[in-house]
Amino acid sequence: MANSNLPRRIIKETQRLLSEPAPGISASPSEDNMRYFNVMILGPTQSPYEGGVFKLELFLPEEYPMAAPKVRFLTKIYHPNIDKLGRICLDILKDKWSPALQIRTVLLSIQALLSAPNPDDPLSDNIAKHWKTNEAEAVETAKEWTRLYASGA
Amino acid sequence: MSYLDEWSEWREKIRSVLGSEIPESDITAALSRYDGNLNAVINLFLDSPGAFGRSVNVTRTSLGGGVRVKTEAPDVASGLHLFDGGKGGVGFDDGKKSVVSESLDGSFSNVKVKEEKWDESGFGDESKALVPYRGCVDSSSFSCPIDPVPISCVKLETTPVSCVRPDATASPYAKPATAPVISSVMTETAAFSTEKTEKAQIPRVKPEWAPNRLKPDTNSDRRIQLCRSEPEAEKGDFPEERDWFLVGRAAIPGLSTTKGRNKLEDDEIVHFNFPSGDAWETRIQYRSSWKAACAASGFVRFSTKRYGEIGRLSREWAACLVPLVNSSKVKVHGRCIAPPRVLSLLQEIPLYVSFYIHSSIFSNGVTSSWNLDAPSQSESISRPLLTLFKLLKMKAFQKAEFTPDELGSKKRCLDLNDGSDESLPMLPPAKRGKGCLAHSEQTDDEQAITESTLNKLVGSVDTYDLKEMEPPSALLCDLRPYQKQALYWMTESEKGDVQQAAKTLHPCWEKYHIEDKRASAVYLNVFSGEVTTQFPSATQAARGGILADAMGLGKTVMTIALILAKTFKGSPEDLAVDAGVWDKTKATKERRTSHNFTRRVKGGTLIVCPMALLGQWKDELETHSRQGSLSISVHYGGDKTNDPTVLSEPDVVLTTYGVLSTAYKSNSQKESIFHKVDWYRVVLDEAHTIKASKTQVAQAAFALTSYCRWCLTGTPLQNSLEDLYSLLCFLHVEPWCNWAWWNKLIQKPYEIGDERAIRLVKAILRSMMLRRTKESRDKDGRPILVLPPADIQIVECEQSEAERDFYEALFRKSKVKFDQFVAQGKVLHNYASILELLLRLRQCCNHPFLVMSGGDNNKYADLSLLAQRFLEDGLNTGSSNKISSAYVEEVVDEIRRGEATECPICLEAPDDPILTQCAHRMCRECLFSSWRCQSGGPCPICRNKLSRADLITCPSENRFRVDIEKNWTESAKISKLIECLVKLRKTGEKSIIFSQWTSFLDLLEIPLITMKIGFLRFDGKLVQKQREKVLKEFTEGTEKMVLLMSLKAGGVGLNLTAASNVFLMDPWWNPAVEEQAIMRIHRFGQKLRVIVRRFIVKETVEERMQQVQARRG
Repeated sequence: MANSNLPRRIIKETQRLLSEPAPGISASPSEDNMRYFNVMILGPTQSPYEGGVFKLELFLPEEYPMAAPKVRFLTKIYHPNIDKLGRICLDILKDKWSPALQIRTVLLSIQALLSAPNPDDPLSDNIAKHWKTNEAEAVETAKEWTRLYASGA
Repeated sequence: MSYLDEWSEWREKIRSVLGSEIPESDITAALSRYDGNLNAVINLFLDSPGAFGRSVNVTRTSLGGGVRVKTEAPDVASGLHLFDGGKGGVGFDDGKKSVVSESLDGSFSNVKVKEEKWDESGFGDESKALVPYRGCVDSSSFSCPIDPVPISCVKLETTPVSCVRPDATASPYAKPATAPVISSVMTETAAFSTEKTEKAQIPRVKPEWAPNRLKPDTNSDRRIQLCRSEPEAEKGDFPEERDWFLVGRAAIPGLSTTKGRNKLEDDEIVHFNFPSGDAWETRIQYRSSWKAACAASGFVRFSTKRYGEIGRLSREWAACLVPLVNSSKVKVHGRCIAPPRVLSLLQEIPLYVSFYIHSSIFSNGVTSSWNLDAPSQSESISRPLLTLFKLLKMKAFQKAEFTPDELGSKKRCLDLNDGSDESLPMLPPAKRGKGCLAHSEQTDDEQAITESTLNKLVGSVDTYDLKEMEPPSALLCDLRPYQKQALYWMTESEKGDVQQAAKTLHPCWEKYHIEDKRASAVYLNVFSGEVTTQFPSATQAARGGILADAMGLGKTVMTIALILAKTFKGSPEDLAVDAGVWDKTKATKERRTSHNFTRRVKGGTLIVCPMALLGQWKDELETHSRQGSLSISVHYGGDKTNDPTVLSEPDVVLTTYGVLSTAYKSNSQKESIFHKVDWYRVVLDEAHTIKASKTQVAQAAFALTSYCRWCLTGTPLQNSLEDLYSLLCFLHVEPWCNWAWWNKLIQKPYEIGDERAIRLVKAILRSMMLRRTKESRDKDGRPILVLPPADIQIVECEQSEAERDFYEALFRKSKVKFDQFVAQGKVLHNYASILELLLRLRQCCNHPFLVMSGGDNNKYADLSLLAQRFLEDGLNTGSSNKISSAYVEEVVDEIRRGEATECPICLEAPDDPILTQCAHRMCRECLFSSWRCQSGGPCPICRNKLSRADLITCPSENRFRVDIEKNWTESAKISKLIECLVKLRKTGEKSIIFSQWTSFLDLLEIPLITMKIGFLRFDGKLVQKQREKVLKEFTEGTEKMVLLMSLKAGGVGLNLTAASNVFLMDPWWNPAVEEQAIMRIHRFGQKLRVIVRRFIVKETVEERMQQVQARRG
């Protein structure tokens, strides 16, 4: 009964994620660690990431839900708020975390971040600069990366 | 193989001529030297009886045109030896180089070295590494014949290692014919090594020869004329040097590389010449195996003052000695004993060698930090003395209790201590997350280990024979003998003075007796190689320890006694230790002057405990200490100071883990108020709170600066062995507080089931931890604690018919649902639902009201008021956060209809729901735990600022969708309980009623009020001040005889000995949680017989749970 140690909340969330997944998002717990999730997010339409399938990993720390889950992109992505290690600059994953947020809401927020890159609060300075100086070109690069890294998944 | 047969035949022949006492190896060696020439061998033995090297390696290789030559041939046949006389020698003349040329036939000729230019860059004090002879040898002065064999051997030897061989030993092969080649190689390598040397600036202390080498006279014509006519053997004692300690002496066989008569005298001093250290290091870098590096190394040659080089040490000894000597920590002096009169090549020369160790390796009194993460050095370099001891076959006078070898090998060997037959209790190894998000995971209390497993793991000694210490007069209560023992033990553990500390050798250390009279005993850490002359006592490593007495033995009182016995500030090492009373003004002055830069203040004792115990600690400190003897301050809540100086003033500061952790988190690490103070003592109560070493709270605790550290816990291990690691980290127990050490020697072996890990744990804990259980006995065999007995009764309740029907209906409904999950194969996916079904059934056993739904809607008269208040609040909080009245209407309407929205945090139907000003509903506990500070925080839904005081408790009727008062019916359990309570009312005994569900406690209030049984209530809803008040009233008052307590809020640490009756209204999955609850009452201080009543409803899920519990226990 490896799962019996999981807080009820995590069990409940997992169950709901599996039974009613959010559109464009799938998250399933790893078999040997129910706190570790394999996540896939479809690139939102009308974004440079359209058509891409992005893999992420999500881990619920001990303190969850009092502490934010840890999320990281595994697929390379060209985005001003995501660095080359896949780390994501998103306030709700940091100081704006609230226990009322859930895995689902976090992933939806990340999906939204793909639709609306925010080069003013960058994690990756180079990409953000690119975005600010020549957005069209940056978007092209993002599309290119999506094709290169996020298509065959 | 055939020649071996041949040889054994020859061996027999030789023995028949010379006698059978000649060792076989000698004969073999001789045969190999003379390539099977029997007569030559026999002559050799007749010539120099018994003087043949017994350890000559006989290796056959074919070289060149199939000629059998021993691999040692090159140096046997070496034509020219240049050597540095200063090395290891006493009194070799500065600036003089002896240059001996020896032709193969043994005749001597005087050789002049025309120009011998020392590469100046090679002469740092680290230059021992390099002996770069760049000189050209005046070939005209040589008279030796050119021998092709050695030359080819030179090539053979130098080629594979040519770029890493800057050592002097290459130079002996500088025969005229090869000189140009060699010198070019040498030049290259010299340049290479110079660079190397600059990089690796290893300070080497070699007082003896360093001065010689520091003044290289590059221009002087170093020549020495060796005259055979006037040699005088160098003899005498080796001088005793201040920094060099004689470790021991050993007879070592040398092998001659020269021939001649009367070259050595008995007792003549020989000087050793070691190949350079940098060559070594380089080799170690380039070659994978250490052995290969040894094999490639040069030889250790020895010489006399009279004749220059005489011979060399065997490869084995050279391999051992070179790294030692090059580490600059070891030096050797040697003399030859009873040398053979006539030397022939490779003849054994018995040498008697004294080994010295430099005093700099003694790390006296310094706490060193081990680091396994650093790239591991060659073992002998990092622990020269240990290697030396092994070489000299010196046995530890006192063995270490455990050594890395034992643990490193997978062999089951060596009974470390009591050959206990206990099987290894397995704990679940802490699971780890995968990938970069890995985060140590903690199992919750459902997997808590039982007491018996704990005893197996950490050991509990049944009888302790410790001295007793009279408690300080300021302590107002009497201590029992075992508590006085604890006081003695704790005071001793806090002593920094080794002399008075326990005389137990630290289990990682060994004691050796060395030859030197100045240090008769040295202590060696078998793990780190650290050496000291000071006694490493078991308690020296960390001041403090783990007081792990079982629950109820009075850890708090013992700690208070300790605090009263030793009230200090900061680290007493800064002051006169014997000054019992701490002079504040003087200290302040001292602090100002000496700690001007750090400006750290010295604090007294910091006690960190769970929030629930804060009040109890304060109470106990106040009641047990004489008025005025102790100043106490509670650092908690809104009125916290920010000034470390203020915090350092009282003798005792109480705080909670939460406050500590928050302070650590919000300030940049060391800047938190707790971390700005140098404490005298830090006490962690319920120290298993920090069992997960990576958590914020654990990190915050590790970072505290303190002179003494204590862990109080009844459960030093709760879920896994790693829990203990965290405690050792906090206690700064070297080397176990280093994860690499812990993991390598304990965690990993443990996980693969190596029971030595457990023994090691026990050995570590033996000096660190005091653990007695209620079963422990004193030295006379009496139990240390005589508690009144505790009866555990099971009260079986029989449901009424109506209740039974309800239960059955619920059960059937649940069963149908469950079967559905099974049929769909979705049992695991619906885990939560299944637990919920079980929960409902369990609640139903307590009272059907807990699960009933429906009911009438018109009973909530106060709801309009509630709506009113919302709207007013909304107006007050300002326009931006204004709540729409429509939303409030909706919320109020929901409440009115009894519709429960789930708590956004736990995703359950809220237990004890509250309403925020922003009209959000959630569990009270969930909301509070989401806040960093007790008084308030953001709303989890809308981030509006909330304060605790403004929260609105949802109308409690909401919890039951029936009007419980009007429709009141007792359940079987409640009837039984009331029955018991009424009986108890006459006796005057107090009772505590535990339940998991606060809603059930709500229900219980109704009959208690009706029956006029005075009661108090203690649950998560109470703020700290209220908790203290309730407990005080219950303990001291005579009115309120019953305390309703939620199992979660009151499970840990509380002292509730005022009561003698425990009612456990509902079984919990984990018996340990129930045990904890019982321990609140059945503990030190209990004077009455304790009766525990566990309520079980017959033929229900509760009976099944009992079976589960029995299995777990």
